[in-house]
Amino acid sequence: MYEPSAIAGLVVTAVLTAGLYALMSFGLALVYGVMKIINLAHAGTMMLSAFVVLELNHRFHLDPILGAIVSAALFLVVGMLLYVLAVRRVIDAPPIASLLLLFGVWLCAQNAAYFFWGSEDQSIVTSYTLATIPLGDVLVPVTRLIPFGASLIALGLLSWFLRSTDLGKAIRAVSQNSTAARLAGIRSGRVSTIAFGIGSSLSAFAGGLLTLLFSFTPDFGHTFQLKSFAIIVLGGLESFPGVALGALVLAVIESFSILIPGWRGSLVNLLAFTLLVAGLVLLPGGIASLLERRGKPE
Amino acid sequence: MIRTWRLSVWAPLAIVIVLALFPALFPGELNYIGLGFLTFIFVTLAVSWNMVGGYAGQVSFGYAAFFGTAAYATAILWSRYEWDPVLTLPIAGLAAVVVALIVGLPCFRLLGPYFSIATIGIGEGSRVLALNLDQLTGGASGLNLPLAVPSKPWFYWSGLMLAVIAIAVSAWLRASRVGLGLFALRMDQDAAESVGLNTTLYKNIAHCLSAFLVGVAGGLYVVYLSYVHPDTVFSFDLSIGMVLMGVIGGVGTLWGPVLGATIYLPIQQLLLAQPSLVAIHQLIFGGLLIAIILFEPGGLLGLIRRVARR
Repeated sequence: MYEPSAIAGLVVTAVLTAGLYALMSFGLALVYGVMKIINLAHAGTMMLSAFVVLELNHRFHLDPILGAIVSAALFLVVGMLLYVLAVRRVIDAPPIASLLLLFGVWLCAQNAAYFFWGSEDQSIVTSYTLATIPLGDVLVPVTRLIPFGASLIALGLLSWFLRSTDLGKAIRAVSQNSTAARLAGIRSGRVSTIAFGIGSSLSAFAGGLLTLLFSFTPDFGHTFQLKSFAIIVLGGLESFPGVALGALVLAVIESFSILIPGWRGSLVNLLAFTLLVAGLVLLPGGIASLLERRGKPE
Repeated sequence: MIRTWRLSVWAPLAIVIVLALFPALFPGELNYIGLGFLTFIFVTLAVSWNMVGGYAGQVSFGYAAFFGTAAYATAILWSRYEWDPVLTLPIAGLAAVVVALIVGLPCFRLLGPYFSIATIGIGEGSRVLALNLDQLTGGASGLNLPLAVPSKPWFYWSGLMLAVIAIAVSAWLRASRVGLGLFALRMDQDAAESVGLNTTLYKNIAHCLSAFLVGVAGGLYVVYLSYVHPDTVFSFDLSIGMVLMGVIGGVGTLWGPVLGATIYLPIQQLLLAQPSLVAIHQLIFGGLLIAIILFEPGGLLGLIRRVARR
């Protein structure tokens, strides 16, 4: 019924999208892992970063990829400041306080963006926006390939950082058991500050790269934020391989949804919302827990 | 004690009487009468949201799903089946209760922040669904409703009545067994369960009660507008509004959400009327939310109490 090349095209799209999805979700998972808080300002960070990239592109003709790197560096600092000035104060309060606080930050970021940039659709057009590279039978758009490659590099760096540096090990220690980490002499406050900065930086990098693929408004980030939530929930909230798996699952389901008879493209976001709710309710440990349960019958 | 009890009964009663007299005394002030109606609707929303978000401590970002479903229940019964719009209101409330059960039964198994995240997904999901069910909802072009509606003072008085009922229900809930159960589970869900409290049941009762009131408000609102569109009645802004009104006014208190709504709605309407300020109408409230979480978790009501005590 369907051409093999069409199916291959869907697979390629799914894998490429998954890379970007994973990148935008790792920041959330990192922050959740270390601080056990849900960063609702994630959407605001992605959106502001998209506008930073836009400004850099308009004023200095900076390529969006370089722009995303600059923006990631900028939001490393912004994230750490946000943590020190605000988030730190509610870290020991009931979890709803940090959720509402970061929600307020998102609201302010969004409305500030409306104030500065208005509500029109913005987009960045580069020389390679319409270029494609043939991969067998499938024509792969360059704008999808580049974010995918950049995501892999960023995730590789992150993985190296978390495994091989003292700071990275400290971050992992705090996220595994913050009390034990503190007993071992790790300053969890400083680790949390840095983790929040890195989390924001990853969100900003993803937001900047998304400008290659999508047009955006100050409301940009809302849907991607919900997708990120769905992904980390599927991934078990704080496991990095889990996040990659969750990103792949969401991307595959989204890509292949067009094969459902009577399906409409405008329903595609509903998939992520459904996975989010179903994942939270049915799979509290993520997909991995399901596989583990299957693997070890008792 | 007796004096404070008297004050807590007489002062609201006096305010309600003064408010009820307004359209009779100033029948020409249609703008203010309209503003009054919208304020009452939002008071109802804030007070109802607070039953779950405040008393039970389950912050929901998805109340637009109730409001929207109810708004469409009224709109469809009224325009397609030619019901009297007033008679559709209880059905609108029940439609919202059905949604509340569909949301609540699975999602109240989730704790605190996970519940909140799930409700963001539900609120947005319901909007996308409503946009795509265009046979039923008119999709992205919305539905025009009959124009033959009661006068503005009628809406004003109906809105006032609804708000008073919502406050009365909230006051009753607070003092009831269910209310005590909600306070207990908000403080420590495990402890509440260990003394035999069925926390899921209590949360669902509060959720259905508040959804019903939100639903009636949603029905009344579309009758007033004579127009319904998925992006307005299912909007995330509406869900956010309920959170903001509750938290800014004073979450978990009886009068906090009332205060929050009476501040939120007029300021929002004022800003929406200025073309240059439309975009930033939530900047103020977002900033206020941050300030309240950081410095005064009791909200503006907590602030007033703190100042009064000095």
